[in-house]
Amino acid sequence: MGANLRRLVSWEGFLLGILVLVIIVNTSRAPAYLSLTNQINLFQLSIEKIIVALVMTFVIINGEIDLSVASVMGLAACMIAVLFESGVPLPLAILAALIAGVCCGAFNGLWVAYVGLPSLAVTLAGMIGYRGVARILIEDRSIGGFPAWFTALGQQPLLGPFPLSLILFAVLFALAIIILQFSGIGRIIYVIGNNAAVARYSGIDTPRLKLGVFVASGLIAAMAGVLLAARLGAVRGNTAEGFELDIITMVLLGGVSIFGGVGNLVGVGLAILVILNLRNGMSLLNVTGNVQTGVIGVLLILSVLLPNLVQMARERLQRRTTQRKEVQVETETSASS
Amino acid sequence: MSNRTVRIKVKTMTAWRQRIRPEQLRELSLVVLIAAALLIFGWQIENFLSARTFNRIATSVAIVGMVAIGQTLVVLTRNIDLSVGSIVGFTAYFVGSQLAANNAMGAPVAVALAVAVGGLMGLINGLIVAYGRVPAIITTLGTLAIYRMLLINYANARTVTVDSLPSWVVDFSRQTLLSIGDFAVRPLMVVTLATVVVFQFVLGYTVFGRRLYAIGSNPEAARFAGLPAQRLVLIAFTLCGMLAGLAGFLFLARFGTITAVAGQGIELESVAAVVVGGVNTFGGSGTALGALLGAFLIDLLGQGLLRWLGISEFWRDALLGLLILLAVASDAVILGWLRQLWQRGAEVNHGR
Amino acid sequence: MMAIRRNLLISISIIALLLAACGAPQSQTPTAAPAPTSAPTSAPAPTTAPSGAVVSATPGLNIDMILLPKFLGIAVFDQAHEGAKEAHAELRNQGKLIFTGPTAENSVAGQIETLTNAATQGVKAVMLSNNAGDQIAAAAQAAQAAGVTVVTWDSPIPSAQGETVFVAQVDFNETGRVMADMALSILGPEGGEFAILSASPDAANQNAWIAAMKEVLKEPKYANLKLVDIVYGNDQSEESYKQALALVDKHPNLKLIMAPTTVGIAAAAKAMTDEGLCDRVKVSGLGLPAEMASYTLSGCAPQFALWSFKDLGYLTYHLTYLIASGALKGVEGERFTAGRMGTYTIEKDPTRPKGLRVLMGPFTVYTAENVNK
Repeated sequence: MGANLRRLVSWEGFLLGILVLVIIVNTSRAPAYLSLTNQINLFQLSIEKIIVALVMTFVIINGEIDLSVASVMGLAACMIAVLFESGVPLPLAILAALIAGVCCGAFNGLWVAYVGLPSLAVTLAGMIGYRGVARILIEDRSIGGFPAWFTALGQQPLLGPFPLSLILFAVLFALAIIILQFSGIGRIIYVIGNNAAVARYSGIDTPRLKLGVFVASGLIAAMAGVLLAARLGAVRGNTAEGFELDIITMVLLGGVSIFGGVGNLVGVGLAILVILNLRNGMSLLNVTGNVQTGVIGVLLILSVLLPNLVQMARERLQRRTTQRKEVQVETETSASS
Repeated sequence: MSNRTVRIKVKTMTAWRQRIRPEQLRELSLVVLIAAALLIFGWQIENFLSARTFNRIATSVAIVGMVAIGQTLVVLTRNIDLSVGSIVGFTAYFVGSQLAANNAMGAPVAVALAVAVGGLMGLINGLIVAYGRVPAIITTLGTLAIYRMLLINYANARTVTVDSLPSWVVDFSRQTLLSIGDFAVRPLMVVTLATVVVFQFVLGYTVFGRRLYAIGSNPEAARFAGLPAQRLVLIAFTLCGMLAGLAGFLFLARFGTITAVAGQGIELESVAAVVVGGVNTFGGSGTALGALLGAFLIDLLGQGLLRWLGISEFWRDALLGLLILLAVASDAVILGWLRQLWQRGAEVNHGR
Repeated sequence: MMAIRRNLLISISIIALLLAACGAPQSQTPTAAPAPTSAPTSAPAPTTAPSGAVVSATPGLNIDMILLPKFLGIAVFDQAHEGAKEAHAELRNQGKLIFTGPTAENSVAGQIETLTNAATQGVKAVMLSNNAGDQIAAAAQAAQAAGVTVVTWDSPIPSAQGETVFVAQVDFNETGRVMADMALSILGPEGGEFAILSASPDAANQNAWIAAMKEVLKEPKYANLKLVDIVYGNDQSEESYKQALALVDKHPNLKLIMAPTTVGIAAAAKAMTDEGLCDRVKVSGLGLPAEMASYTLSGCAPQFALWSFKDLGYLTYHLTYLIASGALKGVEGERFTAGRMGTYTIEKDPTRPKGLRVLMGPFTVYTAENVNK
């Protein structure tokens, strides 16, 4: 446990170090980086992804994965657009989109938790299928022209310089930390992720909790989809396509183990900051999109590889010193006898 | 876990092996699903059950199937390779541009080049995963982006065109080696089938294959038994890269026009094939043939839906997602049922 | 022989353009109200420029500009970059010409990000080949409000919100007619069934062209052409290839596949060639000569059309430079010279109610005679 804790601390220390480095480089290279608008833009441009990353942390720590989140986002966005176009009042349309998200999550969860299918397979099917439902709804159209209050919520500042989605993210982040790190439910999520068998034997209703996590994932993804529709002001069939990999990258960079049970939201929060600042800095310096993604790929690998290499070197060193000690002890005892 | 329990496990496993293996049952259940899909489509779609449909699916499965074989090797060891799409794209472009620059290059050299480049990329993945102890999903999510970045920078927005390639490359996918009635046997298909046969054998009957299963089904036990887990994982990734490289060559031969986005999305298709093909994502069970059947089933569903006149273009993805889910679910259900039957049989045997 | 015919075509279209240019301002002077879209200049737009006054650029200014394609790694966008570079050197712009773009899978979000950050960077102008539909409008409007000139090329913002002008490669309605004409000339007067293999269901320009073609097909001249299906290959070779073959399987009487996308047409031609179907099913649409030459010569794709992306980049650069430097306001009726390409006029875009455009044109129709030129 102590070693685990130290490892986590060192991981976060590592991320913090990178973050500081990125901020220093950005500040020195891109003069506009520190401006308030840029700092808000930096979050605003990826706000939906980082909101979903929070709930993805729950899913992965629970030992599962949800590849369908981006398609749920797209489905939710298409739903409000299509319902709104057909004359349904927008608040009602938003409600329907959120319910759709819950249904998608529950559908995933039922197969995973109660039938026992691997979540990778189920949510892969969900990723294709939910996107397909979105396409059925919207076909090849692009729907926009939402009421001003809706787009203003997505685009304009609500409180001081902060737009609604950013405030929402902050609230959700605090809530997620409380639930995952300080509540009984959070502890159970870790236990299940660490060892599902142990969880079952200790009387935890594992399926119900897994279902709950997937429902939450669907709901939050749908909410993020609504926010995305508000920010963009128009929706198409491919809205939010491909976001899942970015979201999973954030969570994994945050030190969450893909095998479940390990990681925390502080790490994920730091990873989000690192990725957003790095991307923003590179974008301000006109680095092309594929190089940006490549750099983040390198960072993702190095962030795990470097600590591992250090640890391996340390282990080898330790082994050698203990060996030497043993030899010493041996020679001493042989000398004394 | 002591050595004795491992030995007992191994012993019971060999006892099972004498009868039908669970993998074979799984393959059988896939064949049943494929037959069901064929019947439904054949009943719904005019002229669906024809040699042409078979030829279509066989050629188009060749590339994804090849990648799926490699993916199987990796998934068996409890890992995953998400970088295969980028490897396919990079090798297709790289070999294509080399061939375009040097039309005299022969087929063996070109294929060897593709396999070598793919193998190198797989080796890098394997080194990071096995010796750097970085989880495979992180490593290959990273190299997915890195290899694609290399491709885009290397390609510099140029396109490999059909006209720039030597004619043997372009003709490769057109040739018919042998035709039985209307059923055409194409080189693409033959290469992939041969690869499946090789790896079906390697996995089922060689020490290397059995070790792959062992480290996937129980890494702890494998380590206690003294298996070189790191080296095995490294080999699995390298082979996966080599097969992806070979698939890259097939991709080049089939499509001729190669841009920087070539091969994008193959990683998910290959994972889907593997998952539908009954390869356990937690390692330890599954076969190359299963993965190919999985790829075949998905392509069959895709082709069927494409041609189903009553179905609009926009319904395709939704139905495909549903069908994949049903395939996985029914596969699991059928398998669970078969396993029960078979366990009962084993118990009876033990009781005797 | 061909060269003469082509030159004739070009000169005819230039004459047509000039006529349109002379006609437009006179008939449109009464509507002097500034466009409701938030134009970069908040001052009431003085559209009282004397008709016929042609604005030309002052070289040597310092204007940082971004050329933003749909995504990187596609040949045609690189050709546009070549054209823009030519204009950049010609105008001796002291600022930078930045060619940057998102990855294919992150195109929408990436374009929005670049546009948003352009204002932060202090870039003066962005030339956008829009891949995000109206989803980019809010970001484009915000950029304009921050003083960035946004000119679209290749693919516009459908609602025209957030863009000053769209540089249209060809008339979008004309594209529909050219495609219908090619279909008619390939299939002959007896006509037959044909299908469209498009890019993605969300591609604004392809959708506009298909809509235009459907309009044209209503004319009695095209009565025998029967459009039986529209499918999407998502601008990926493998998907387009598969879709092309599925079309043949699905429609036994299919005679032609019309692909208004360079990726789709090449994949369809390869698929028909590989399967030995070229005698039965022909391929046509919009394609790159370098990628299509062998199919055209083999008779598989007897005709296809395209415009010069290099010229498109060149013209877009000139127009953007003029607007960003304040020489043009970006309102209807203004005329300007674009270096070697001659004089152009900003006019109403007939395909988008609120949009303005500069029409480049014309099409080059490629056949076996001119494809290898």
